[in-house]
Amino acid sequence: MTSSQSEATAHPLQAFAEAVAEAVGGTSEITFDTVKVKVPLDMWVEAHTVARDQLGLVFFSWLSAIDWANHVEAGDSLSRDVDERYELLTTVGDLDEGRRVTFSTDLPKDEPVAPTLVPVFAGANWHEREASEMFGIDFAGHPNLIKLYLPDGFIGNPLRKSFPLLSREVKPWPGTVDVEGMPGSDDDEPATENPEA
Amino acid sequence: MTYTPDTVRHLSEVSVSVELQTEDMTLNIGPQHPSTHGVLRLVARVDGERCHDVQPVIGYMHRGYEKLAEVRTYPQITTIVNRIDWVSGYANEVPFIVAAEKLMQVEVPERAQYIRLILTEMARISSHLVFMASFPLELGAATPLFFALRERERVLDLLESVTGGRFHPNFNRIGGVKPAYGAGSSTRKMAQDLPAGFFRETRTAMEEVLKVCDEIETLVAGNEIILARTKGIGVLPPEVAAAYGVSGPNMRASGVAFDLRKVEDYLPYDRFDFNVVTGTNGDSWDRWWVRLQEIRESARLIQQAIDGIPSGPLQAKVPRIIKVPAGETYVRAENPKGEMGYYLVSDGGLGPYRLKIRSASFSNLSILPWILEGCLVPDIIAVMGSLDFVLGDVDR
Repeated sequence: MTSSQSEATAHPLQAFAEAVAEAVGGTSEITFDTVKVKVPLDMWVEAHTVARDQLGLVFFSWLSAIDWANHVEAGDSLSRDVDERYELLTTVGDLDEGRRVTFSTDLPKDEPVAPTLVPVFAGANWHEREASEMFGIDFAGHPNLIKLYLPDGFIGNPLRKSFPLLSREVKPWPGTVDVEGMPGSDDDEPATENPEA
Repeated sequence: MTYTPDTVRHLSEVSVSVELQTEDMTLNIGPQHPSTHGVLRLVARVDGERCHDVQPVIGYMHRGYEKLAEVRTYPQITTIVNRIDWVSGYANEVPFIVAAEKLMQVEVPERAQYIRLILTEMARISSHLVFMASFPLELGAATPLFFALRERERVLDLLESVTGGRFHPNFNRIGGVKPAYGAGSSTRKMAQDLPAGFFRETRTAMEEVLKVCDEIETLVAGNEIILARTKGIGVLPPEVAAAYGVSGPNMRASGVAFDLRKVEDYLPYDRFDFNVVTGTNGDSWDRWWVRLQEIRESARLIQQAIDGIPSGPLQAKVPRIIKVPAGETYVRAENPKGEMGYYLVSDGGLGPYRLKIRSASFSNLSILPWILEGCLVPDIIAVMGSLDFVLGDVDR
């Protein structure tokens, strides 16, 4: 992942990103104006506590996950091979200057368990329930880890890349027919590529 | 038996000193209820008139947009994000499009940015006017509805004249906005601009909106029943709001002067003069009051924007087939309901590898078990109505 700024001129958020990384014991990167701090799994709860109590990042925005998979049932496959894992993400922010940090940690595919953030941010409750049903991630210590959106008894974790999208299995997406030209674009660049997604 | 004064006193003491042993009742509200703005079910344990352990049951409208986005191309996704918070469909498109533009490093023409800003503020006005209509109605005051919806129609007509859609404009394109009339192959060369008379009609509409704000204020703020039912009801302290991720007008009503329009750069808000309105008590009344002031601020913003709108193209040069370079970013915006954001992960393909949708109402609704704990049954309506959520925005 590259920063949107060149290496020569430091990003305005560079100093902030490094300060956060140092305070929580992680590594920072800036991807397109988003400060992302990677922390080890055993520092997950502590990093958020430090962010809340020492860095003033009191606003809990969201928690979710990414399924990094080399085999994909719905949508496009990745262009390169990756370490198969779940990446757990949260975003917290402050309430005056508008600074925000996206925390990230990796969970193994075979046993995705993370400690719950509910004691630090009460709002993590619903987000963790969603991540649990959608990705099959277990949140140790969560007070009420029941399904949020899905009906009881639903089998499978829909946002896992191994979960097929039934409607696309039954009927493939139409091809070039519904791609409309951009206004003002030239015609010397015909739509030869198949936008099958 | 004759009742001597002594026995009477004794009986009356018995009746007040012995507590009735009653069983708690489980009360089910919804899934269909006028105050739920969609399909929401609440299960509450009711002890007399007091509610405890309120549990919202959601998911009746879950459409799986995050999964659907993974099998669509970038231009196709604006159609589905429109339908997240359908009361302000236009505002949902902007942060998604800006996230894609950020990864593509596209510079959007200024005129397009101004048009986006004007339409976003119109979406905010129409969303807040729905609240101005429904919230007093839920408390028994029907009249403000007619005033609010009349002006909302006026604003929606303007939105429709530009975008062709009242609820689901689908007007943003990566690199700019769609020309007003037709973008078919024959008209593509002559990119058309805003419809004729748009600025004049907008000026009139904004004056009418400001006028209706005064009328609604007189109607509602002078209504003693509404005051009695909302003042001091459903108080939300700022630190609780922050921990639950409650954002937007709900948070500002608790006294936090935080507005993403002031700190993020997704649209050129820094060129305009507008106030961040805050409440003092964080109760249902303040949440109503803050939204009324925000309508006024939005109307002022639109007036400034149409005065200063630059001329120029509506579209940046983008490839015909949109491919977004690999990268990740989170773009958030101040939507009418609060913080709306998209965490976009691209692998360089035609569609996103992962799109996390952070919707405002989801976090705003998650406060319900906390805020409804120990409140009276009729206050459920007053508190829920004041949070102004839409279930499409909760369930996504």
